[in-house]
Amino acid sequence: MTDTTSSEWEGAIGTVTLGATAGEGGTRTVSYRIGGDQGLPYTGAFRPGEHQPLIVFEICDDPSIWSPLVKNAVGDQVNDPGDWAATVEKTYRADMVRLVLTSTRRRGFEDFPSINRTVEQVLSSTGLPLSIEGPSEPAIESEVFQRCGEAGQGERLLLGTAEATRYRSVAAAALTYHHAMIAQSPIDINLAKQLNILLREVGVPADQIVIDPYTGALGYGFEYSYSAMERIRFAALKGDSDLAMPMICAAGDTLNVKEIRDAPADEQDQMAIRWEVYSSLAAAIAGAAVLCVRHPGSVPVLRQALDALWVSRQEVKADGT
Amino acid sequence: MALKALDIYKLLPKKNCKECGVPTCLTFAMKLASGKAELDLCPYLDETARSVLGSSTRPPIRKVKVGVGERSFTIGDETVFYRHEKTFYHQPGIVFSITDEMDDGSIRAVVGRVRDEKLTRVGADLMINGIAVEHTAADPAAFGRAVAVIEEIADLPEVLITTDPVALEAALGQCGGFRPLIASATVENYVAFAALAKKFGCPLAVSAPDLSAMKDLVTKVIAAGVENLVLDIVPASPGAFIATSSLVRQQSLARSVPELGYPVLYTTATSSSPDAAIVAGILKYAGVIVTAPLSKAETYAALTLRQNIYTDPQKPIQMNPGLYRIGSPGMDAPVLMTVNFSLTYFTLQGYLEGTRLPCFMLVVDTEGQSVLTAVAAGKLNETLVRDSLKKFDVESQVSHKKIIIPGYASPLSGAIEDATGWKVLVGPRDAAEIGEFLEKEWKA
Ligand code: B12
Ligand code: SF4
Repeated sequence: MTDTTSSEWEGAIGTVTLGATAGEGGTRTVSYRIGGDQGLPYTGAFRPGEHQPLIVFEICDDPSIWSPLVKNAVGDQVNDPGDWAATVEKTYRADMVRLVLTSTRRRGFEDFPSINRTVEQVLSSTGLPLSIEGPSEPAIESEVFQRCGEAGQGERLLLGTAEATRYRSVAAAALTYHHAMIAQSPIDINLAKQLNILLREVGVPADQIVIDPYTGALGYGFEYSYSAMERIRFAALKGDSDLAMPMICAAGDTLNVKEIRDAPADEQDQMAIRWEVYSSLAAAIAGAAVLCVRHPGSVPVLRQALDALWVSRQEVKADGT
Repeated sequence: MALKALDIYKLLPKKNCKECGVPTCLTFAMKLASGKAELDLCPYLDETARSVLGSSTRPPIRKVKVGVGERSFTIGDETVFYRHEKTFYHQPGIVFSITDEMDDGSIRAVVGRVRDEKLTRVGADLMINGIAVEHTAADPAAFGRAVAVIEEIADLPEVLITTDPVALEAALGQCGGFRPLIASATVENYVAFAALAKKFGCPLAVSAPDLSAMKDLVTKVIAAGVENLVLDIVPASPGAFIATSSLVRQQSLARSVPELGYPVLYTTATSSSPDAAIVAGILKYAGVIVTAPLSKAETYAALTLRQNIYTDPQKPIQMNPGLYRIGSPGMDAPVLMTVNFSLTYFTLQGYLEGTRLPCFMLVVDTEGQSVLTAVAAGKLNETLVRDSLKKFDVESQVSHKKIIIPGYASPLSGAIEDATGWKVLVGPRDAAEIGEFLEKEWKA
């Protein structure tokens, strides 16, 4: 009897670099190479210490549509993306910052120079690699992504989000300024593949793409996302190179679910934290390399849990089992 | 490996005597191959057939029941490695642990929570399944006393955690008839443990330091006459649990190691993170998860995750389409249209009950898709709404011709008005705002 799960696959997940240090042409204090896995989180095919998912903390530049729970937990800093980003690094101790440009979601947005200012401010306040989430409005996205790309030149940003119906602006900014980008499809392995083929056709190399299979909130579609992730990962390991990119899990609707909203006031924060942590952990076990959260309290809980999961791989290997 | 029907057929008596309940030996072989018949139904099998078929036609993972009565739970009997291959059937029982050194009041507090706390989601009551009692006291009799405290206030499935046969016997004296799971038989105590499990008809967990020792011990325990087994794999961490439990699942499904064809017990006390342990256990094949009592938030998240993972990926949980009533609506009550995805139905229903305004819910058949999904897929359209109004004879139930549609279905409002002749009111996107909306906008 062999004590390791056998596998028929020979493929591996490609790698994507996020952030650039001085040596790599940027100003980040750290950069990450995500991906590279040759198995599922239980086949034993791991190099110790590698592939532990990154914890990304999401901030925004206009908190009016952000969850009141986060605003309460964060305090006045929600009005200053620079200060907020610095706290993400020093106090919350996340691995990365994701700036959601909520200002661009307002109707009639046209203050484009503010984009450059905000991105520069965040980049100068933290040494962590940065991801930027742009608008969902096709009329302004080209200009917004262009400005993000430019403001973060050399920093190897992670820009998002491309969808099948609107991927050109993000792709153009990623290509022009050598950033990585997020490709999102609605919980369907075939659509994920299709979008990656479209991106390949416009010239985006695989090592600049992170797949977002779309994460439904826990209790509100998460089961579909979980299985889509397992299927994507499995297809990649079996050799489908159009799906062999690392995945991101960003369950943006989580803090609005009924179980959190309807909880007694003094239990809401704990409920929010567990809701974010349980879906992030499950996504990590399904193969996600990047986990996004919004509640500051989620970061340490998720960190402790990931450490407990990932340390084991070393033990399993050290045993020769 | 699983045998094909034809291979099985070759080993059968070929009498076609029908005593097994089907017309021919071949039909019986086909039933055996798909796990739908018991070998013992054929009285004429010879020794070779019995031994070859015995191991290859039983379910790859044995079905085991813990406890008796309403709260008992069944584990095992799974058929796939990934849920998308088919579905997972028997969700892990999650049990809160206490020790026999705790005072009666503290024990009662935990037991009371497990007995009463429930989360109602999508029409189902989700609960923690039972209590694990760990024998940590010096006095073996303490174990029996702790069990007696539980029995006084609740009929819950129990897991008895000890390696001491004397303590075990004391506990079984209190609850043996209620089929607790005994955890765990080891290479040292298995003779006494197997005898007690057999005497009381209890499922028995078997614990060994690695899987090859596990295989040997399972063989011994089976020889001692106990068949309802659970594997206590004692992993060093949640990650090690995933590795070992996945391996057990893989080898038992392949039937390559029949001795591992049992559900797995995961005692999470060794984990430095309860959250990681619970999530790992739910996702990766635990049959029973023993954990220190979780906070309310952890409990809710765990129960929700378990419900998600154990729903059938092929068919979303659905409602029967129809006209549903909230309270006792009169002829002037509002009609709200929604889809037959259970999650959508129960979310909206919850908020509608909160408004205390009697009304009708017209649930249309989108094959279990949510509002947005059904709109995006074209399943929710004006024809469906028109046909549903007719089919459920809404016109005769109300004195008006106004229908409220979900905010996310607003692009359909014009088309629905044209197709039905009813006036369409576009409701809010978020069902939580329905009360405010009805108060402001509703007039028959
Ligand atoms: C899980 C999910 C799926 C599951 C299906 C789940 C199901 N049973 O429906 C799967 C993976 C199968 C799926 C498939 C698709 N999906 Co989908 N899916 C989701 C997801 C993540 C959650 C849906 C959900 O469960 N919502 C929860 C329920 C309770 O919401 P609801 O039904 O809308 O009900 C709420 C309100 O509408 C309101 N309400 C309900 N009834 C009523 C009635 C009245 C009167 C009022 C006032 C209010 C009201 O109350 C509820 C609570 O507020 C959403 C994202 C999201 N955030 O919604 C995407 C989403 C809906 N899907 C999307 C898409 C595009 C698709 C596909 C078309 C993709 C494709 N091309 O294959 C397919 C369609 C299926 C097909 N081809 O047959 C898009 C839709 C884009 C758009 N805006 O149109 C979304 C928004 C994801 C995205 N951002 O890309 N999906
Ligand atoms: S009882 Fe046995 S011999 Fe008779 S038909 Fe069934 S399989 Fe054949």
